Amino acid sequence: MNLTANDTILLLLNISVMLLFARGMGELLRRFKQAAVIGEIIAGIILGPTIFGSLFPSLYEKLFLSSTASQTALDGITSIAVVMLMLVSGLEVDLNIIFRQKKAALTTSILGIIFPFTTGFLAAYFFPHLLGSGQMNDTFVFALFIGTALSITALPVVARTLMDLNILKTEIGFLIIASAMFNDLIGWLIFSIILGMIGGAVHAFGFGQILIITLSFLILVLFAGRKLLSRMLLFVQNHTGFPGGVLNFILILGFLSAAFTEYIGIHAIFGAFIIGIAIGDSAHLKENTREVIQQFVTNIFAPLFFVAIGLKVNFITNFDPLIVTFFIVLAFIGKVIGCSIGARWGGLNKNDSLAVGFGMNSRGAMEIVLGILALKAGLINEKVFVALVIMALFTSLTSAPFMSYFIRKNRKGNSLFYLLRPEIVFFTGRKSKEEMIGLLADKISGIYKSEKGTILKGFLKREEKMSTGIGGGIAAPHTRANCAHPQLAIAICKEGIEYNSPDGVPVNIVFCLVTPEDRPEIQLKLLAEIAGKFKNKNLLSALLACETEEDVINRLKSVEQK
Amino acid sequence: MIFRKIGLAVTFSPNGKALLLEAERLRELFGSKLLLIHIGEKTGRLESALDELILSSGIKKENADIIWKEGDPAKNILQICKNEQVDLLIAGALEKEKTLKYYAGSIARKIMREAGCSVLIKVFPAIPPRPYKHFCVSALFSNNGENTIRKAYEFASLEKAEEFVLFNEFQVPGLAMTVYDSGSLQETEQNLLKWHTEESEKLQLFVKELNLSGIKIKTESLYGKEGYEAGKYAKKTGGDILVLTAPKIKLKFFDRVFQHDLEYLFENIPCDLLIVKPEKAEE
Repeated sequence: MNLTANDTILLLLNISVMLLFARGMGELLRRFKQAAVIGEIIAGIILGPTIFGSLFPSLYEKLFLSSTASQTALDGITSIAVVMLMLVSGLEVDLNIIFRQKKAALTTSILGIIFPFTTGFLAAYFFPHLLGSGQMNDTFVFALFIGTALSITALPVVARTLMDLNILKTEIGFLIIASAMFNDLIGWLIFSIILGMIGGAVHAFGFGQILIITLSFLILVLFAGRKLLSRMLLFVQNHTGFPGGVLNFILILGFLSAAFTEYIGIHAIFGAFIIGIAIGDSAHLKENTREVIQQFVTNIFAPLFFVAIGLKVNFITNFDPLIVTFFIVLAFIGKVIGCSIGARWGGLNKNDSLAVGFGMNSRGAMEIVLGILALKAGLINEKVFVALVIMALFTSLTSAPFMSYFIRKNRKGNSLFYLLRPEIVFFTGRKSKEEMIGLLADKISGIYKSEKGTILKGFLKREEKMSTGIGGGIAAPHTRANCAHPQLAIAICKEGIEYNSPDGVPVNIVFCLVTPEDRPEIQLKLLAEIAGKFKNKNLLSALLACETEEDVINRLKSVEQK
Repeated sequence: MIFRKIGLAVTFSPNGKALLLEAERLRELFGSKLLLIHIGEKTGRLESALDELILSSGIKKENADIIWKEGDPAKNILQICKNEQVDLLIAGALEKEKTLKYYAGSIARKIMREAGCSVLIKVFPAIPPRPYKHFCVSALFSNNGENTIRKAYEFASLEKAEEFVLFNEFQVPGLAMTVYDSGSLQETEQNLLKWHTEESEKLQLFVKELNLSGIKIKTESLYGKEGYEAGKYAKKTGGDILVLTAPKIKLKFFDRVFQHDLEYLFENIPCDLLIVKPEKAEE
């Protein structure tokens, strides 16, 4: 089928309008600190039969449905888009990080799969009609799919949320990312097997053969292939123009691998995802290459894919509140409980475990990709698909606020922000350095019930080595002791005390810090945070102007570290 | 004393003499005892060949004990080191090995992965031996990491080193993905810069807390895969010895498939490696 001039014009118009709306809605959602992908889906719903199609049916028909050729071409483009989306998702799955994380990552990811999968499978198997199995004859396959759909976590949305909450580079951030990576890997593997079960009837290979070929492909690429690909990548990086050569290399391999998995009867996306993991694992792949390819795919191709979803389905006629409610409830029960138990088992406290549970509950784009493929494969009907999309959007929207709530609630965090509270502050008059440290040790021992003698000895011993005056009127005496969490007290002395600081300036504010003796990095992190805050030259005078302990804390919290 | 007893796996290989000379140099530098280990059949001919090699290296008989043993080289060397309480084992290694050999594990690589004591891997032994002038030391923010730095610093001071660089590595998994939803490379870059500054400040504080005096300490924070970046940095800056803390666990085959940080260095050794075993029980 050739594209006529009219078809071409329509196709180009379609793409322009889709990108325009996707960008507009994406930006709008970003202003509300929400994932851009949510905006892109909403853009599709606005442009599709749900809103635009029902308000202006003839215009909608003319723009999106009048040309079969342009529709086919658009379908082709969105198919390429989803393959590329899965390729870049794979690039970010780091197998080494998954296996190097502590016990908590393993328990979180394993229970984060088993629990939601079992919940979803059992609910769909025993109550298929409540979950809209509809025309689906094979309840077992349907139940398998629902179990898989509920165990998926959207890595990109999770990463974005963690970044917004400023915890991407923290232990809890690493834990969530590693667990989400593992979830994705297992989730897509199960889904490809399900597709193989359906595909067995229509493809050249039977299910058993598909399973063997899939597992062999997986082992070959992820074990032996990774080394070879890494060497090839280094060669391409050294001998071709940057970033063009590397981008080409990654896309060529991605498409070849996608074509192979499509041929054997599982979907193309699986091949793209797996080859993405193998390439992304290479230490030679530069961070800016990752960023460029992410930009290239996620700003152009991914929006087209997500908008196209809204163009295909009417979200009003296919909206079934009962199915939607079931999916949302199951999603929360399965993922939040499963991951929280896993994290708790792995040694995290209650609030951190719940933060991990809600963090992992974000389904976002990956759920929608899974849903549309299942819809195309006839695994689910449009009502289930709509419910999955709404569940994905709802879980993504609620992930950040819940996670933030539990992280803030956990005052035993290792960040300065979470240690700051009015009880740790006191105002005092002029004192000697030793008297001041004594008062601070008193305060810490009173609040945290720690042994005053030990910590005071530690502070003074440290002072003997070298003054802990930072300069600019600030000092931070510190010691390590046998405690589970950091302890902090702050003294404000408007008159200033002689502290033997490097700049000779009397000290007005003293941060006294006790950290766990077996974790020196916490001490360094907190001291760096304190020093970082006072890069703001106005902070000292602002703190000295404070009248109450609450003012001091609010002022300290309000200063962004430079 | 940094190391009380030095062990050397002696071979009749082309680098055998260079390694002996280096072992003797370090014995003198540290004031330690020297134990020479040869794995192989003990015949009259080989014994006199070894004596000759030792004498030609300027090692006095009273300064070194010799142990002969037959059997699996790596296993026996490690066992002897354990029995004899060797705290630094010196071994020669190739800079790079063929893929299959790397996975199967050569003698030198087995020693690096499994030694119960500190290990000095010489990839470029020279005749006459040269003191190390450019130290690159990996900083781990832990008690074991602190112990490694103190040892490396003492070593560098004895060597009268010209440069002592302390670096830390960090990586934020999933960072590139955050570009996805912000659509802003700038924001991601800004965050990366902020973290870089944070890590640099932490490292400088760490150095301050160590309170070391003598050679000036240069600090550097590296972003990327740990181990891989260390090797790249040491090579780029012309470091002649890279000092690291030994892992808490023995590295196994699994750690080669899903590479442990140190495996990036073992795969392609950038310069001589000193892997320091923590003195106390594991943290």
